[in-house]
Amino acid sequence: MTTVAIVALAAGVWGQRLAGMFLVGPLLDRRPVLAQAASLIPAAVICAVIVQLSIADGKSLVIDERLAGLAVAGVLVWRKAPFIVIVVAAAATTAALRAIA
Amino acid sequence: MILLDAGTSLRRAWIASAVIYSATSQFAYLAVVQAGGSELAAIAAGWIVASRFGILAVAITRIFRDGVLLKAVAAVHAFDINAGLGLAQPDRSRAKRAFWAATLAMMVGWFIGITVGTFLGDVMGDTQRFGIDALFPAALLAIVGNALRTRNGLVAGAVGALICGLLIPVAPAGIPIILSVGGVAAAIALERNDVT
Repeated sequence: MTTVAIVALAAGVWGQRLAGMFLVGPLLDRRPVLAQAASLIPAAVICAVIVQLSIADGKSLVIDERLAGLAVAGVLVWRKAPFIVIVVAAAATTAALRAIA
Repeated sequence: MILLDAGTSLRRAWIASAVIYSATSQFAYLAVVQAGGSELAAIAAGWIVASRFGILAVAITRIFRDGVLLKAVAAVHAFDINAGLGLAQPDRSRAKRAFWAATLAMMVGWFIGITVGTFLGDVMGDTQRFGIDALFPAALLAIVGNALRTRNGLVAGAVGALICGLLIPVAPAGIPIILSVGGVAAAIALERNDVT
């Protein structure tokens, strides 16, 4: 990760937090539709990042051991398992399948 | 840990985690870089994902009404857990106490976590063998889990994932993640349709 990237990402995170507290908070109080749209962005984008990390390999889509790990995580998230259980189970599932293959 | 996976040095990986203070933004950035995307697209993806924190800061404006410095410190520390705990309290003074207690616990956890993660990643060497690459999407799914329990969140997430999946083979790396915000439009359009 380049220094430029670290600084830019930090600025993005810290800046949006402060903007949320001091600028957007008061503004969104008066615009409910905008507030609703903003609240849905993380769900859409984080799901996209999940896709990128679990089924993409360069420019092609592949189904491999990563997807099995994600499926296990999906069930555990749905059953409201603790965070640490979810991530360890996902990694263990993927590692186990790789060991067999 | 994921940074080491992507070939970043030990010290730099720790500094990045400490300075950026957000795992999700780093995940988004690296997802794009690992897919061969440009630096700019990767940073853009990190920014969009960080909107989550802007929204959390908006949510806790209900708890923190006065004191510019206090509000600023609270804003940069708002995560799902402390914000949720704070907002669940019946009055503002109890909300503040719950928020700061959870914040302290999370900060300690974050710095222990990134330190252990950095060294563990170094010691393990081939992290793929241990399924570490499967750990990150699982962590993201856990983070977004509550949002997916609402109908709008589920539609936004599913359409966002679909957009990304469809675009990966055809669009330059990073663009699929950025365009996944279209999932938001889909969720809102669907809801409007219901109402009329």
